[in-house]
Amino acid sequence: MPKLKGFNGEDRYNFLLALVGYLGHRGEVSIEEVSNHFDLDADYLIKALKSLNDATAQVGGFEEWPFYIDIDLLDEGVVSMTTAEVIDDVPRLSTRQVAALSAGLSYLANIPEFAANADIKSLMQKVSSGSGLGRSELISIAPGSVEAGAETLRDAILSNRAISCEYINRKQEKSVREIEPLRIDLTAGVWYLRGYCPINKAVRNFLIEHMRSIQILEREISDVATKVGEIEDATYVAEATDTEVTVEVAPEAYRLISEFQTLSEPKDVGSGTIRTQIKVGHLPNLGRLIAKYGGAARVIAPEEAREIVRNYALSALGAQGREIDREVE
Amino acid sequence: MPNEETWKPAKTDKSERLFQLTCVLLYSERGLTKRELFHAVDAYRTDLAKSSEDDFALNKKFERDKSDLRDMGIQVSNPDPKSDPDEMRYAIAADTFLWPEDIKFDAQELQLLNLAAQVWAQASLSSEANRGLVRLRGLGIEPATSDMLGFAPRLRTHEPSFLPLSQAIEDLVEVSFDYRKAEGEISRRHVQPWMLRSIDGQWLVVCWDKDQKAVRNFLLKRIVSKVSFRTVQINEKESELVRFEAPKSEDIQAAIEDLESHTASQIAKLKVRRDSQAWFHFNLGDEPGGDAEISFSYMDLHLLAEELSEYAHDITVLAPAELAKAIRNRFEAVANAHA
Repeated sequence: MPKLKGFNGEDRYNFLLALVGYLGHRGEVSIEEVSNHFDLDADYLIKALKSLNDATAQVGGFEEWPFYIDIDLLDEGVVSMTTAEVIDDVPRLSTRQVAALSAGLSYLANIPEFAANADIKSLMQKVSSGSGLGRSELISIAPGSVEAGAETLRDAILSNRAISCEYINRKQEKSVREIEPLRIDLTAGVWYLRGYCPINKAVRNFLIEHMRSIQILEREISDVATKVGEIEDATYVAEATDTEVTVEVAPEAYRLISEFQTLSEPKDVGSGTIRTQIKVGHLPNLGRLIAKYGGAARVIAPEEAREIVRNYALSALGAQGREIDREVE
Repeated sequence: MPNEETWKPAKTDKSERLFQLTCVLLYSERGLTKRELFHAVDAYRTDLAKSSEDDFALNKKFERDKSDLRDMGIQVSNPDPKSDPDEMRYAIAADTFLWPEDIKFDAQELQLLNLAAQVWAQASLSSEANRGLVRLRGLGIEPATSDMLGFAPRLRTHEPSFLPLSQAIEDLVEVSFDYRKAEGEISRRHVQPWMLRSIDGQWLVVCWDKDQKAVRNFLLKRIVSKVSFRTVQINEKESELVRFEAPKSEDIQAAIEDLESHTASQIAKLKVRRDSQAWFHFNLGDEPGGDAEISFSYMDLHLLAEELSEYAHDITVLAPAELAKAIRNRFEAVANAHA
């Protein structure tokens, strides 16, 4: 990963405090080591160090220099800072920093590898005792259930092996499939496997709860699968054959927006309801996806999509014959 | 003055000013009066020179900077709060500023914290977590290399109310918002927000409800207006935020336990069609046999109705009757919205 180019505003302030604390601990150190430690561009680092040298504090009519950086040594690639003792360690964390880190930690506890990790609890304790204002209970994540297959799938990913499993798709069709697993996503309590499907020759999302009898195969994943670079974060991966669908969603259904790739900037059409265009791969899936929001998500166009949703709802109500059911994936 | 080779701040970048202010306030043991401070910090002095008569704007800037520092966990205190306002001194006490010496992390712990920061998909929380990490990095420990390979846990917040609520919780400010109950009725709520919780992927805010005079949990996705910070008029021109006392830990704990026992007391009973998607969803295994009857507890009838809507073709609700009705109502609403 390339190093950070630099910081601005609040981030720069935050970094300067951390840097001063670090140098206080570390004593004389090479520029390269500092740059690697903070994962930061060396040129930017040198500029930041020089600006520390320029910082003055006027106290009681006297001009004081809280930090002295040896510029000759700096030119040779070595950082040496002399500091007044008042600022020789890193600052405590802000309440929000503690909250974001603690909530992240408690979410990690959902993952099998960390679930049994007693360190997480004590670590959360430590983080909050480093809070500047002493409050930490801002955000909490209740533990969810760990999906049974997740651990096997992870073993497969780490050993680069393909898997086979029984899978039930949206059309209620059960089949035994081979998947080349790439990554396990845990998003809002739902576990997905991103995997390369040799039959469709594409990366697909599989709901882990829809898998049964997962087996790690002898064969390694194919070259094509290893070459899949960054996997997009959106649960839905758009394709050229997708249909554009205009939807209006109320706050209760905002989640829908992040499950799809949106084609236009969502527009507020009043009282929190927003309108946007999404890309849908297999139109018949739309019935189930929209209907679960109970009217908080509404398809505006095309008419074909509206009809699919209407028919899905009617069939779920049992008001229509079973025929329509077959269209539903 | 910064020379050519140093970092040049953009006009709007306040990092240099805040950094200098922090140094000055840490440096002075007795604290500095505003007057002294305005001369000690370059940016303030420049402002002062520009508008010598009226330093109302400068006072405001200082107040804003103080509150920025507070947001970043740095407390500006008044060593002698009883003094005359003009003689009021400001300082940062080293013991509230410096990282506590007895709290140390090892390489594994720092690695876990790195992973925890990556969890946030929400930009603002992710930068807070990363700023926290940068500070902890300053402690000088090199984290163990990450072996998260294979997992991408993401915490998402789709609700626009998340950020203002977290701000209000931190600053202890009362808020108001419009809340739409599952049945559709909207009402204005006035609350003291205590904590944000995520349960099975649903965000809710634990509050003291001012109107009900009781602890209440609100689902963020049912908040249908902007969250507004409550203010009170103090004179003709000015108003100030309505603040409240920090909730006691035991009160928050009691609220969590209340919700847990409420959940435990609500039981749903379903019949699940053999080998359907619902069968897989409820992880009913592959022992031979027919359909299955299951029961489980739930937190909110309408949330459960939403979850079960996905499996409408695979399940029959046996109890409670309101659940079957709620699912029907949802599909009727869908059919009507697409008529």
